[in-house]
Amino acid sequence: MNPPDHHGTNDGMAEAVPPDREADDRMSTQEGDAMLALLGEALATSDPVPDHVVDAAKGAFTWRTIDAELAELVFDSANDLAGVRSEDMDRQMTFQAPGVEIEVMVTDESSRRLIGQLIPPAEMRIDVIAGDDITSVESDRLGRFSFDDLAPGPVRLVVLGANGETLVQTEWVIF
Amino acid sequence: MDVGELLRRIGEGDQRAWDEIVERFAGLVWSVARGYRLGALTDDVVQTVWLRLAEHSDRIRNPDMLASWLATTTRNEALRVSKKQAKSVSLAEYPERTDNSVSDLDELIADDDTRGHVLKAFALLPDKDRELLRLLCTVPPLDYATVAEMLGRSIGSIGPSRNRALAKLRKLLPDGLDDTTSRRSTDTTGDERKDAVE
Repeated sequence: MNPPDHHGTNDGMAEAVPPDREADDRMSTQEGDAMLALLGEALATSDPVPDHVVDAAKGAFTWRTIDAELAELVFDSANDLAGVRSEDMDRQMTFQAPGVEIEVMVTDESSRRLIGQLIPPAEMRIDVIAGDDITSVESDRLGRFSFDDLAPGPVRLVVLGANGETLVQTEWVIF
Repeated sequence: MDVGELLRRIGEGDQRAWDEIVERFAGLVWSVARGYRLGALTDDVVQTVWLRLAEHSDRIRNPDMLASWLATTTRNEALRVSKKQAKSVSLAEYPERTDNSVSDLDELIADDDTRGHVLKAFALLPDKDRELLRLLCTVPPLDYATVAEMLGRSIGSIGPSRNRALAKLRKLLPDGLDDTTSRRSTDTTGDERKDAVE
């Protein structure tokens, strides 16, 4: 279906006006298109996409990377104590992938605070994924990071590279 | 490069093709999400949409439908998040208040510019009209079928509703500041009027 001939004003928009827009006696098509363009521009200018949102969106692609190194759980204090486990003891885990280790401790049942350490130490961005929630934390120069209010359920940690690429991700665990 | 080619490259793990898609469609996703007034949760909704695209990009069979897919996915995520929040948004609240934008529109129109007047007029429209117009002025644009589906209306009602809403918007603009003024200029005054057709 072709748009009516008087659909002249695409206003430089990349896409053609949808062909099913029809003239109305209260608002000519041209005038309507122009108003919409004006409104669109005003909205886009007054409320642009924040840079951090664009950056995060670009980083989202890394989840698709199927060849990301998987850091396996090589130590878990829950296993190590062979069933005899004090409720006061913090849960400790160590994940290992070629060349790197991530040590994690979850303190305190109530606050659910997670403390971690990257080995070798480095300042990296780490995503803590719990269900649909992804929270980014950053490790300091000594590779230390922390995260509060860890949600219940399966969690994984992902260490991201400078360009937002996934370098290492842990197995899913329940802390 | 067309969207189809970009999607194909994304399927092969091309980060730059992905970045290009983000840059082309980030405005659309953001604008749709903003229509739901989720405040700080908008970021989460938007990010979830991109994560879903990253997972499902190979399932977008028709590249022309990517805009539609992104918009409806954004709506679905936004509704899911609002339900989770179980927060009721008072309609008396300033309609377009967001965390990033100026909450007091008087600041925005201090320079008496066209853009400020358009935004103020837009804010005064009824919710349903704003909802519709917001979806109709995205870049890239959404087809009427998608807009109708997102709003739960019939496709046939979109055109007439569009025109009624725009007529209302026009009425709310100051005299001499209608849509015939240039939409590219940054400081249009009421005296600058160009023809509607460039």
